[in-house]
Formats: sequence, structure tokens, C-alpha cells
Amino acid sequence: MPIKFEKVSHIYSDGSPFTYTALKEIDLEIIEGKMTAIIGATGSGKSTLVQHLNALLLPTSGKVEVLDRIIASDEKPTKLKSLRKNVGLVFQFPEYQLFEETIIKDVAFGPKNFEFSEEEAIAKAKKALAMVDIDPSYYDKSPLDLSGGQKRRVAIAGILAMDPKVIVLDEPTAGLDPQGAKAIMELFKKLNKEYNKTIIIVSHDMEHVFNYCDDVVVLDHGNVRCHLSVDQFFKDSNWCEQLHIIPPFIIQAKELLKNRGIEITKDIKTVDELAEEIAKKVIK
Amino acid sequence: MECIKVKDLSYSYDGENFAVKNVSFNINKGSYTTIIGHNGSGKSTIAKLLIGLLEKNSGSIIIEDLELNMQNIYKIRNKVGIVFQNPDNQFIGSTVRDDIAFGLENHCVPQEQMDAIIDEFAKKVNMTNFLDSEPTHLSGGQKQRVAIAGVLAMHPDIIIFDESTSMLDPQGKDEIKKFIYQLHQDKQLTIISITHDIEEVSISDDVIVMNDGQVVMHGKPQDVLINDKQLVEIKLDVPFSVKLSLALANKGIKIDKQLSLEKVVDEICQLNLKK
Amino acid sequence: MGSFTLGKYLPLNSCIHKLDPRAKIIAMLIVLIAIFIPAGWLGYGLIALAVISLIFMAKLSLKFVIKAMKPMLFMMVFLLVINILVVKSGTIILSIGSFAIYTDAIIQTLYIVVRLVLMIMITTALTATTKPLDLTLGIEDLLKPFARFKVPSHEIAMLISIALRFIPDLIEETQRIMKAQTSRGVDLKEGKLKEKVMAILSLIVPLFVSAFQRAEDLANAMEARGYAPGATRTRYKVLKMERNDYILLVVSFVLCIALIILAIL
Repeated sequence: MPIKFEKVSHIYSDGSPFTYTALKEIDLEIIEGKMTAIIGATGSGKSTLVQHLNALLLPTSGKVEVLDRIIASDEKPTKLKSLRKNVGLVFQFPEYQLFEETIIKDVAFGPKNFEFSEEEAIAKAKKALAMVDIDPSYYDKSPLDLSGGQKRRVAIAGILAMDPKVIVLDEPTAGLDPQGAKAIMELFKKLNKEYNKTIIIVSHDMEHVFNYCDDVVVLDHGNVRCHLSVDQFFKDSNWCEQLHIIPPFIIQAKELLKNRGIEITKDIKTVDELAEEIAKKVIK
Repeated sequence: MECIKVKDLSYSYDGENFAVKNVSFNINKGSYTTIIGHNGSGKSTIAKLLIGLLEKNSGSIIIEDLELNMQNIYKIRNKVGIVFQNPDNQFIGSTVRDDIAFGLENHCVPQEQMDAIIDEFAKKVNMTNFLDSEPTHLSGGQKQRVAIAGVLAMHPDIIIFDESTSMLDPQGKDEIKKFIYQLHQDKQLTIISITHDIEEVSISDDVIVMNDGQVVMHGKPQDVLINDKQLVEIKLDVPFSVKLSLALANKGIKIDKQLSLEKVVDEICQLNLKK
Repeated sequence: MGSFTLGKYLPLNSCIHKLDPRAKIIAMLIVLIAIFIPAGWLGYGLIALAVISLIFMAKLSLKFVIKAMKPMLFMMVFLLVINILVVKSGTIILSIGSFAIYTDAIIQTLYIVVRLVLMIMITTALTATTKPLDLTLGIEDLLKPFARFKVPSHEIAMLISIALRFIPDLIEETQRIMKAQTSRGVDLKEGKLKEKVMAILSLIVPLFVSAFQRAEDLANAMEARGYAPGATRTRYKVLKMERNDYILLVVSFVLCIALIILAIL
């Protein structure tokens, strides 16, 4: 069951003087089980796009197909709850949505809203908190006592506890220090690989896109500019140039070496692989 | 000449755990110093102590030969400006013009002179066309530029950037980083920048590395950033070029640890020619 | 929200927009007093004439002003009902069994409605032609003479202008938290009472937390930029009374006097 956008447009305040077209007849198919990055400059329509995935926004025209549900412009979708349970959306700076007295209660809040019993919800919360590496000794503390990175992880656990099939994240690492950001990206990779979740990430960080994602969708002024595998996208240096993106370091290094006559053709992801390829060329 | 002298500075928010412990460092006039450390290492606390938003528990801060205490706090704040992290929460005026004026009003600048000053500094940060814009219609990067103009208009000697780029998109980050570097080139100001951006650190004059409320390293970036093991231990990032030279060493290729990727590539190429 | 026009500023270019906010506030107060002078229908006619010509000069559409009265419609109907039930004097217009409607009930209600309509028109004329910030500056200046009675005019003005500055941010924040909680299964429209209480809590608690964070950041930023409550500071925006401002004051004053004379005669 792929996630499909068919000729989806979204216009804010249609018919008023402030009208603004955020998405322009978008066609897009996101493959299940993959980790897909959505990139693009501010105002390119990324946030609008992801809010269609759990019907927080409805298309002005066209239709969105998510997990066998069709969300179209001309119908008023009822019973959105099952969709929202299966598509977990994590907003930017999600720590601002914490509100319960204790961490465990806050994480259990989502499952409880989706008609799970108190015990089931708590069990799901515990499982989710374990996934994000929050120690059981913290369960009864107030979420407001945590550090920034921990708060972020608890807020993400609040979505994971709903056990969604698709997890959508809007800039999940914004404002974190490099280590905190890395821990969170590793978590999504694990959810993707071990729990087979479809993951969609809005990101500005090309190192993260390069290191963790499978596919990349580029939005530009409300249009899909391209949809490629991450390797293909970075292989063609034109993309980064056109989009004013600073490429990931590995790609920068390959490019510099190529200009100096050392061409590495193999797709590589890590520094060690790069060093190995260089060693092959230089030592022989 | 040293313009900031910090000696044995300590501060605790709750009276038990020290956010800043016995910190000492000096900063040279006109230099560009970056402060790095993971979240919660005490970086921002130092910034707040330096402009007297927090009152130290012990130790001393001397700025331009003036010891910071509650009596001369306003004199110190005339010398030190700060740009915070969140672009929205430091925009006080209802328009760009009013926001730059806010600081001038506090410093009792005569009303007749204000328009000229506002125009001058708006031009400096390239916001002349937005003087009457409201903050809701500005991007994060633009708001930070206004914050910088507001600080510069008060002619400080020292300007502190407290993670001023961390909430911006890549374009905004780039703009502000370039602007900070240009300010440094003008040689008028002493700049302190608290950051997570290793790239920014590598173009600064000096870097202070903080962990657990203490200064663990202080020196030239090219000397500090090559200590990969220490950096990883205190949860910091190592520059990619250093990572690459280490990985190459593992494969038997000996290269000096460098901060610039270009130089690493240079060395690789020289080896390539020799073989 | 779109149709709610009471208190909204309309950025037009008219001679009324350019007037000094102080003059406008005083003129409004004078006319408000005049409205309460019992000068009969002729008096109300005079005020209505003045107010309507003011609205015309401000280039405001009558539709905009009428829209501003919508929130008051319920109150007017309510007043009418109360008056019909309570007032039992004058001649009977209509009687159904033991229940009767008297002329005085209708006349008294009409008086109140006319007063209310005039009051809304005059305040709308003020708020629609004056930027909220200019309004604050005007209030600050007008309160200055009360400083000797320890009225912190500057602090009040600063408070209002910061509140105005952050209203759009807070609205955006509210929408964001609403969406975030909706994604966690909160249904703000349906559900049992207990669920509704939780839904509201899930919105209000985060709003408070972030508002406090904001307030702290803001206080730091203001202090760092040299703001100290109570300290002397200069002011960038200086208000200046001009000929038109004095004309407005004189006209409203004359109107008030005319009504007093009418009331006495």
C-alpha cells in the first residue's frame, strides 16, 4: 500500500486577499517500508505536504491515498481516528506538546485516545519509552524536569506508543546538539529496519539525509522537483548546485578528489569506506 | 590586549548542581572566539553571566577593566550586546524600525537622531526594504538580522551570539554566519559565538570547549579540534577532515590531521604523485 | 474570525487615520459622555449625524461598521425582551391574554439600542482608524499627568504593546499545538465530558508552558538591551497635535455642549 498523491493542490485562504497556493497539483508515490526524506527551502510546501498524510489538512483539489484510505477534496472524511492512529505525525519541536503530570501518563495519552484500555495504554507507553531509551526510573517524573533532548525523545515516544504504521517527522533534530541529533536519527533507522515502519522525514540536514534515508523528494515552490534514491540524487552534483544545497562531506570529498584526478565511482556511505577506496587508488 | 577576564567563575541554578564550575579564561580584544559543548554543558549560562542576566555565585568577571557587579551592570551592558537563539522571542518592537529603536530608547538616544541611526544599521544588515515590516512577515534569518542591527546600533565593544543560528533554515544560517565573519573582518568588535557548528569553529580565532560546567580545552581550532578522542568522549562532533585522516591512517596512509578538507585532499594527491 | 470586525484596524489612507491618537481618544470620550445626555431624539440625531460623517471621512464602509455590531445583536434582543417583560407603563400596543406590551417598553428599548449602536460606531471609528500601537502611545501620554498618583503610564503602555506584538505568535502557537494534539487522537469537537476536559488541558498546559518560556526569553532580551523598568528613556515615536486635531476636539466639545443645552431646554 503505497502513499499516493494524485494531482494534489492546497490553497490557503482560498478566495480571500491572502490566498496562497502551497501545493500545485502534486503527483507523488512514497514507497512503503522505506525511509524517505522530504527536502526543500522554507516555503516550498513541505509542512503542508506532510499534514495531508494524516488529514490535518485536506487537499483543495486532487486526492491523497494513505493506507487504503482516500482523502479527497470533495468529501468530508469521517472517522479520521483510525487514519491518525496509523499515521503518526511528529511536529517540529514536539516537546511543546507534553502536558501530563508524569512522563508515563503523557506517553499513554495517545493510545488512550485511540480507545485502548488504561493497562494497554500504559504497556504501550512503556514499550515506546524503552525504544527511545528513557529509563524506567524516569516514568513518574514530570516531563518538564527533563533536558531538551530527553523531552524530545519522550514526545516522540508519545507518537510511537500509538504504534503507527507510518511515522512522519517534521525536522525532528532541529535545535538538538550533534550527539542528540544522531541518537534520534539512529532511532528512526532502527524503527525502519527492525519494526518495518515507513518513515517520512522533513529535513534540512544533508548529512542525515545521506546517512540514513533511502529516497529523497525535493519540493520547490509547491512542486515536486524530483524524487530519486538518495544515492542517485547525490551522485549527480547538478542537483545540489541547482538547489543551492551544500552536499554531504563524503560527496564533497569525492568531488574534490575527482577534480584532482582521483575518481571514486563506487557508492560509499562511510568515512571508512572512503578511506579504503582512497587507499586502493593511492597505494596499489 | 585582553578585554574579558573570567576567573574562578561558578554558578548554580538550584544551589546544588553547578552549571558553571571554577571557569577561568581570557579573551583578546578584537578576537573571534567560539564556545562549544553539548547541550547542558554550561555554555549559555556563561553568556548570561557575562551580561549580568545571572548573578555569579563566586569568582570574577572583568570586562574592559571593569569588574562586573550589580552596581555597574548597566555600564557593562553598554559594552556587551547579545543575540539570542529564538528569533521570535527577542523581537520586541511591532516593526523592524521600532525594534531597532527599542535599544536606542533605553540608552536615552535623543529622538531626533534615531531615524538616522536606524537607517544606518538597517542598511548594514541589509534590511532597509523591510523597515516597516511586522515580525510575522519576516523569516527567521531576517529577524536575527534585525536583532543584530539592534545590538550594533548601541555600539558595543563585545557581541555574544548565543546559538543564534540554531533555529534557522540553511539559508538563514548561512546568512548569519557570513555576517558574523564579516563583522570579525571589520576588526571593530570582540566576538563570542556559542555554537554547535564545527565549521564555524574552524574559522574562528580561538575555541573554548566546555563539558559539565568546566572548560576542558581552550586554544586555536587547529590545535583543539584534532583531539578526536577527547571530543568524542564529551559528546562532541569531530570535523569530517579529521575523521578522514584518522580513517586513512587506519589504512596505512599517514596524513597530518587538518581542519580543511581541501588540505587533506592536497596531501592525498601528493602521495598519489609520489607512488 | 474573518467576519469579526469589532476593534480591528483598517489600514486606509484618510484624514481621520492621520489624526493624533490622543485627540481621537479624548474626542471619543467626549462623544461617549454626550451619548448619555438625555437630549431626546433630536440630540441622538445630531450625534448620529456627526458619527456618520466621521465614518464617511474615515473612508470606512457602512458594511464594516454594521458588521462590528453583530456581536452585540444578541444583547440588543435580550434588552428588548427584558424591557417588554418589565416595563408596564404607557399605552398598550398588543395584548395576548394577561400578557401585554406597552409603548414605553418599546421606546425605552429603542433609546438603549440607539445609544449602544452609537457607542459601537464611535469606538469602531477609533479602533479602525488608529493602529493599536498608536493607541497605546496615546493612552501612555494621556495617563502621564496621573504619574503623581503613581499610575505607571509607561509600564501600562509597554505591557499593552508587547501583548499586541505577541498575539499573532500566540495564535499560531495555539494552532500548532491543536494540530499536534489532534495527531495524538484528541478530538476537540466530540467526546464525553471527561475526554473534553483532557482535550482542553492538552491544549492549555502546553500553551502556558511555552508562554512562560517566551516571557522569560523576552525579559532576558529586554534587559540585555538595556531596558530597566522605571528608568528614564527617550521615545522614538513622538505624537504631535496639529490643526485638524484641535478641530476634532472643538467639534466634539461643541456637540457635547449643544446636547447639554438641548437637554436643559
